[in-house]
Amino acid sequence: MKLPISQLSQFIIRQSNKKAFLSIRCLSTQEATERRHHLFTLEKKRQLELVGRIEKIEVKYKGLPQECTLVMNKDISTPYDCAKHLGEWHMESSALALLDSSVHWDMHRPLSESCTLEFQTFNIAEPQQVNKAFWRTCSLVLGACASVAFKDNVTVKLHSFPGPDIRSGSFIYDVDLPTLPDWQPTQQELHTLSAEYVKLTRRNDLIERLEVGEALALEMFSDNEHKTKQIPDIAKANGKVTLYRVGNHVDISKGPLISSTGQIGKVTVSSVHKLLGSSESDVKQLYRFQGVALPTGAILNHFAFSILTDRAKKLVRLYKLLL
Amino acid sequence: MNQAQVTKLVSKLRINVAAEPRRLRSPKGPEGRLNKLRKTVTGLIKYERIELNYNRGDEARQYAERLISEAITHGDCHKPTMEIADYWLLEKELVHKLFKVLVPRYENCNTAYTRMYKAPRPQYSRNTEKAVLELRGNPYPPLVNKQHNNRHLIQNILLDAAKYDYRQAKYAEMAD
Amino acid sequence: MALAIRKSTFSILATARCIVPREFRGLSSLPETKEDVAQDVAKRSTGRKIRFQNPALEYRHVYPEFLPDPNPKWRNTLREKMERADMLKRRSQIDIPEFYVACENQSVTDLYRTYKTLTYIYPVSSPTSFEPFIRVSGTGIISRTGSVAHYSLDEGPPKGSKLVSDDTRYIYVKLKPKPWLERWERQELKGVANIDEHLKEKDKVRRELRKTPWEKYDLMKQYRKTIPAEDQNEIWGEVHNQLNQLRLSRKKMFKKRPVSAPKTQLA
Repeated sequence: MKLPISQLSQFIIRQSNKKAFLSIRCLSTQEATERRHHLFTLEKKRQLELVGRIEKIEVKYKGLPQECTLVMNKDISTPYDCAKHLGEWHMESSALALLDSSVHWDMHRPLSESCTLEFQTFNIAEPQQVNKAFWRTCSLVLGACASVAFKDNVTVKLHSFPGPDIRSGSFIYDVDLPTLPDWQPTQQELHTLSAEYVKLTRRNDLIERLEVGEALALEMFSDNEHKTKQIPDIAKANGKVTLYRVGNHVDISKGPLISSTGQIGKVTVSSVHKLLGSSESDVKQLYRFQGVALPTGAILNHFAFSILTDRAKKLVRLYKLLL
Repeated sequence: MNQAQVTKLVSKLRINVAAEPRRLRSPKGPEGRLNKLRKTVTGLIKYERIELNYNRGDEARQYAERLISEAITHGDCHKPTMEIADYWLLEKELVHKLFKVLVPRYENCNTAYTRMYKAPRPQYSRNTEKAVLELRGNPYPPLVNKQHNNRHLIQNILLDAAKYDYRQAKYAEMAD
Repeated sequence: MALAIRKSTFSILATARCIVPREFRGLSSLPETKEDVAQDVAKRSTGRKIRFQNPALEYRHVYPEFLPDPNPKWRNTLREKMERADMLKRRSQIDIPEFYVACENQSVTDLYRTYKTLTYIYPVSSPTSFEPFIRVSGTGIISRTGSVAHYSLDEGPPKGSKLVSDDTRYIYVKLKPKPWLERWERQELKGVANIDEHLKEKDKVRRELRKTPWEKYDLMKQYRKTIPAEDQNEIWGEVHNQLNQLRLSRKKMFKKRPVSAPKTQLA
């Protein structure tokens, strides 16, 4: 069955190396990542050009230092741009935006209509949604870390990550490593994974959001059979799939994520557990990567953090797989 | 060995009081020092939150606390206390504020009546430490957002969950 | 070293009372009678002031030696507790008199203090009341609070002073001509007559210039010289039971022995 390919991808494929096109299923993890990143950039640019005539919207900012009304561009300006008007502290500390006191919005998602804007940091009185966004971001970046950390001869196929459950003690990413049937990570390897994670966070990448059609999504994730199976289910609701990009890495996620990886502070990849699938499912085994993290600025002494990491080493069992 | 004086009874201050008073240079000497502090204490009682240099703020804080504790212990009708309040508060409406507003506010208070924070120094200014001195219970929004008791913060959620887990494990162990 | 006036159990004769005139109140902080105490106490009604209502606080006038040095550099709660226990033990063996009335030339040394008595004061208040004393007979007015020490050597015996009956008599002391031990004119003394006749113009001018009227409003200066009421409550709480027993036993001893009328002597 031929996958429907969009005009754009056809253009790319014709221009790019024929060999790459033929061996699309044999792209290394690195090359696949690059490809996704490239496609993401192009799609983003296209969507921006689609806006056409720039209209203005009024964004009423509520909060410190004082309430004000900002005039921003419709479908172009993001809450992050509003924060730029207010100051560097707002840019760096805001993790989520709250529109009309009800809708949680990504910081880098364009605003589409006039609204009331509030910024949510990790220190507010009711940070439940911010915490969930944080946990989701950590999972996503864990996927990015896993795809980067292994050597070139190991193929990494990211499966999925479940909805955020902070009380479980760790964030999760299920990864399929077909070339490693029996892998027990040593302490040194876990340290290396954590180091790779920290490297990613220190790059301070902004987390960009993009909604793409099902076709393009399938195109982007054509090397990953797990994702290609999940995309139709995700797109059932409105035909769109939400993609998030962190640096080079692109992944699918439902909910809002925090503003940038720099807001992830102390982080450890605590353990990897092997999950064996049932005989009927397509997936034979998955490696469950687990980690624990705190936002930047959250002060916790090293002993208390060690308690959290020890707990995060235990396998987290889930009963539902959600994205 | 110095003999402690017994004429007057004072209430213990709940702030750190240095052993030596700061001199606060001024042309009139000790009288000038008290004049400066008078102005600061008047300003504090009037505005309830003031920004100033750290040294002056620390001295004024001690005097403000002493003034309020005297007002609380002796009350409105005690003549020496009225004279002291009259001396320290340069605006006479503030004497009324002290006895009618601040005394009821702090009567049953177990902590200090003032708070002092260190303030950031403006860029390219002199190297003097700045402070913000405020009365507790002032009407402005708080300067510091201390959230460590907030059980919804992520580190608290994680720690609470870890504690719960540990307890469950212990109970299971004990049951065996 | 505080020059204190001590009451000795052996040499007191309560022949008459000296009712201290109101102006001398400036030297002592105690109210005149016990009723005044009750009235003052009743005035301060609300919660925080309860710590000032502890009757044991009155002991600070009688036994100021139990209060530690107010300088925070030399405060050590544990050491003070041990010192107080030590002092109580000493008082159970030796009779160190209370801070009331002068006795003759006795010198008692406690931990850091030597109590050297000046001359005899009469009249004398009874052992149980906390009346403020004023020294009367010709050897200097000494305040119980210790703020004015002594100027005994400078005055002569007041002419026309006599033992007073229950009627109030104001007794003023006259100073001898200069040189004086201290600049009495610059201290706010009450109960001294004719200080001005010994002064020159220059003295009067300098006295005006040297006045520090702001000092009485300097709250922190007072604070640093006193032990706060909360700490005093703790101290007297530890100590007052035993002291009460000591003075009761002293009273008994006093009742047993007859005492002869003492004679005045200059210090």
